[in-house]
Amino acid sequence: MHELSLTHEIVAIVCNAAQQRRVHAVTVEIGHLSCATPEAIAFCFEVVAKGTSAEGARLEFRRIDGDDLLVRTMEVEEAA
Amino acid sequence: MCGHCGCGETDEHVHADGTRHSHPHDHHHTHDHATTLVELQTRVLAKNDTLAARNRAWFAGREILAVNLVSSPGAGKTTLLERTIRDLRGQYEIGVLEGDQATSLDGDRIRAAGAPAVQVNTGTGCHLEADMVMRGLGELRPPPRSIVLIENVGNLVCPAMFDLGERAKVVILSVTEGEDKPNKYPHMFRAASLMLISKLDLLPHVEFDVDRVTAAAREVNPALGVLCVSARTGEGMTQWYDWLRREWTAASEAAFA
Repeated sequence: MHELSLTHEIVAIVCNAAQQRRVHAVTVEIGHLSCATPEAIAFCFEVVAKGTSAEGARLEFRRIDGDDLLVRTMEVEEAA
Repeated sequence: MCGHCGCGETDEHVHADGTRHSHPHDHHHTHDHATTLVELQTRVLAKNDTLAARNRAWFAGREILAVNLVSSPGAGKTTLLERTIRDLRGQYEIGVLEGDQATSLDGDRIRAAGAPAVQVNTGTGCHLEADMVMRGLGELRPPPRSIVLIENVGNLVCPAMFDLGERAKVVILSVTEGEDKPNKYPHMFRAASLMLISKLDLLPHVEFDVDRVTAAAREVNPALGVLCVSARTGEGMTQWYDWLRREWTAASEAAFA
């Protein structure tokens, strides 16, 4: 299940950019020709994000053309 | 006083049952906080691709031909490698990176055939990634102008996504598998440069139409090269060695292009 390593990367990208801020939502773009399944990523996300700043974040998927797989945006808590 | 749970600024508060105590106000009321939308636009495989590029440069600097062999389990990758190593002995130095979820069985077979092999166990992983190859190379230490054959984990799905820094992917499809594999797993056939139809000696005993499979594979990848081989009888192996020779020459020329 390659989605597990993909999800590890997604969480790493998000947490790195979040810099300790709490992440509320993440939008992932999945190309129609990419061989990643949104359901499998969503399944892994819950487990992989546990204990990180992305824990409990809402995960949204957007279908795009091509074979790319991108972390498009995230919604983070504003720095205090 | 905090409007959400009643705890005071001083950390001291009274509960409904009359108990009064204090504790630090360190819990979140995230629903209350403003959020910012951050554009990330980051490819999920960016890190793997960076490491793959590093591997590719490492190979180029040493004029090493690296080939990533992919197939479903049991297509005959290891048998093909054993024969290739034996037949090309004295012509090329060949080193093998063996990807498997567990055991060193394939690595043992390769070493018995006469080539150095490093077993890269992926554990729960279903494919090799660029950093695993980098670590494997550190152990294998292939000499300049050699050939590194990377035997990926038997799987036609995930290895298509992960660039390892190889010059070419070769997909192996045995005649005992379904003719519909290229349609069912288009990603892998699109990512490959060459399709080797293996176990050709079994062709008379199975229903497998080489032309139909070739057409199906070229539907997803018109540029795909196709060769038919039998590692058991040796049929077609010369064409496979010719392909390796061409790629090896091209790899060494590309290093200075």
